[in-house]
Amino acid sequence: MADTILTVEGLSVSFRTDEGLITPVQGVNFQVARGRTLGLVGESGSGKSVSTKAIMRLLPGSSSLSPETRMTYRAKSGQEVKIDSLVQRSKALRQLRGGEIGMIFQEPMASFSPVYTIGNQMMESIHLHRGLKRKEARALAVEMLAKVGMSRPEARVDQYAHELSGGMRQRAMIALALSAGPALLIADEPTTALDVTIQAQVLELMDGLQRDLGMAMIFITHDLGVIAQIADEVAVMYLGSIVERGPAKQVIKAPKHPYTQGLLEAIPSLDRLDARLRPVPGDIPSPTERPSGCAFHTRCAKAIAGLCSGEAPPEQQVGPDHAVRCWLYDARGAAAA
Amino acid sequence: MTHCLIEVRDLEVRFPIKIGGLFRSQTLELRAVDKVSFDINRGETVGLVGESGSGKTTVGRAILRAIDPTAGKVLYHGPPPGTQDTNSGALGEARRKADKIFESGPVELSALSGEALRRFRPRMSLVFQDPYSSLNPRMTVRDIIAEPLVAGGLLTDRQAIDERVREIAARCKLNLEHLRRFPHAFSGGQRQRICIARALVSRPDFVVCDESVSALDVSIQAEIVNLLKDLQEEMGVAFLFIAHDLSVVAQISHRVAVLYVGSFVEYAPTRALFFQPRHPYTHALLSAIPQTDPDSDFQPIRLQGEIPNPLAAPEGCRFHTRCPYAKPRCSEVVPEWREIAPDHYVACHYTEDFDFARGS
Repeated sequence: MADTILTVEGLSVSFRTDEGLITPVQGVNFQVARGRTLGLVGESGSGKSVSTKAIMRLLPGSSSLSPETRMTYRAKSGQEVKIDSLVQRSKALRQLRGGEIGMIFQEPMASFSPVYTIGNQMMESIHLHRGLKRKEARALAVEMLAKVGMSRPEARVDQYAHELSGGMRQRAMIALALSAGPALLIADEPTTALDVTIQAQVLELMDGLQRDLGMAMIFITHDLGVIAQIADEVAVMYLGSIVERGPAKQVIKAPKHPYTQGLLEAIPSLDRLDARLRPVPGDIPSPTERPSGCAFHTRCAKAIAGLCSGEAPPEQQVGPDHAVRCWLYDARGAAAA
Repeated sequence: MTHCLIEVRDLEVRFPIKIGGLFRSQTLELRAVDKVSFDINRGETVGLVGESGSGKTTVGRAILRAIDPTAGKVLYHGPPPGTQDTNSGALGEARRKADKIFESGPVELSALSGEALRRFRPRMSLVFQDPYSSLNPRMTVRDIIAEPLVAGGLLTDRQAIDERVREIAARCKLNLEHLRRFPHAFSGGQRQRICIARALVSRPDFVVCDESVSALDVSIQAEIVNLLKDLQEEMGVAFLFIAHDLSVVAQISHRVAVLYVGSFVEYAPTRALFFQPRHPYTHALLSAIPQTDPDSDFQPIRLQGEIPNPLAAPEGCRFHTRCPYAKPRCSEVVPEWREIAPDHYVACHYTEDFDFARGS
């Protein structure tokens, strides 16, 4: 990709738990290009949120990054930042969080402090990252609130999070993240808790803001319909690995990995009202009992006996920028089948 | 042959809301549900959709008498002649005995109270959204599923209860060896199956599923939707399926009702509602469903403003403040709830002027 803003290579995250060491993210690679949107899809427990929290270095103390992990971010100044080697509580990390990479979460009510006004929290971020004085910071906060489509921004700036409706709160959350002027925005299920009408408004808003500000975005969701609308590239995660990645249109129209195919078939569609839904068979295994070989082989209808359960498949190019981890697309898999 | 199970007539739920301080407090009335009328047939799934705050949950709970309706009637019809519970065993016997309440015609659910209401409750049930908070962590799965039988006084014999619990657990595809375990040992999908087994153990005629699949991943969601459909076919239970995900509702429902700020705007068979909507709000809501097809022409209709505060619901048609087609009459006269095609009900003055139909 020409203008890459973030490169993640070999990202593995482990947690120490009572049941031993678990590794919810294993060997994840992806890139995000300036001004583009990467969609990250997967079921709960697939490691979507853990991966993005690793980028922000927001994981708790019981976790560790593997030594092979490389995360390189190209800052607004053009300087390269090695995120994996930043020290917690360092100035460089504080500048990265918010100022370079912004983040919005699923539940806006839990992300705002209930005891400070929306404007107060925005001004704090603007002051820290942009170094503006009180008055200018307030003016910018009002401007940002107006930009995300809030009516009467001069009044809203002095309101508390609980005074806003769900959709307005999510808009305020976006305004808060954008007020520090990040070049990359990580959005973790930002529309999941919203009604469809509000979701459509928020998606449209984010799409427009991205175009205006030339910002890159990582958009986490489990809704493939949302991905189809907003993402340029998509990465599908299963049990901590990316099983397929490529241009969003191509992956959704012609999915290669059996898991992606299964996910798309499980979605109810108005075009297939009378047909029975087809769930992916079986349950997602728990991270402590990760299957050997290809992690999906226990649920895969096309698993090749002897091969898939034994060895993890390497990443195969199946089209321009379209890669899949599946033995079905490999010479050895074809020979074994 | 369809048999009516529940008739809802002019159902109203109002909540008193206290605002202001200690000395200048004022009590306002929030009309959560305003004159809602519809029928649910035996063995049918009725979908209930609407934005948050539109009163979906309140409608469901008012029918169940988990909340007392302020006004209106809910009539509950007994089994039609010749279709009494023929199941042998203690549960069948208990149900036949309880069915005597229908000897003098349908029961007015909204007028029951005390012991009579308690005796009536096992006929109705509820499945909640969050399978994590709706199971008691200190009860075994067996005790959780058995609870409605015990609480409703349907069965008292331990062996009969065990037998029934195992029967329904097997139908809900639960591993019978897991019945002695506690809920924490189960995944979200399995927990939701436990909730469904609990809801169906007393062999109810009517179950409210309040966002029961919304918290689940698509694959598990598909599994639960299929399970609910199978159980309905086997047991003839009727569902009121509340959800904000419209494609899931379309998949499972026979008929769908659309709520807006406490009143129904449209009620129609699923296909008619999704492919020939007759109310501007239904049309706008449907246009906002994200389509998986990346080539689809996704153009959600932008409704002006926010969903109104139900404390200050607009006069006339409640949707007129955001309706792109509103005319002066809409802000003055409440539109009549009328049947514009067989089984297709709409509350809109100008529905005849619209053509929202799309190719199916």
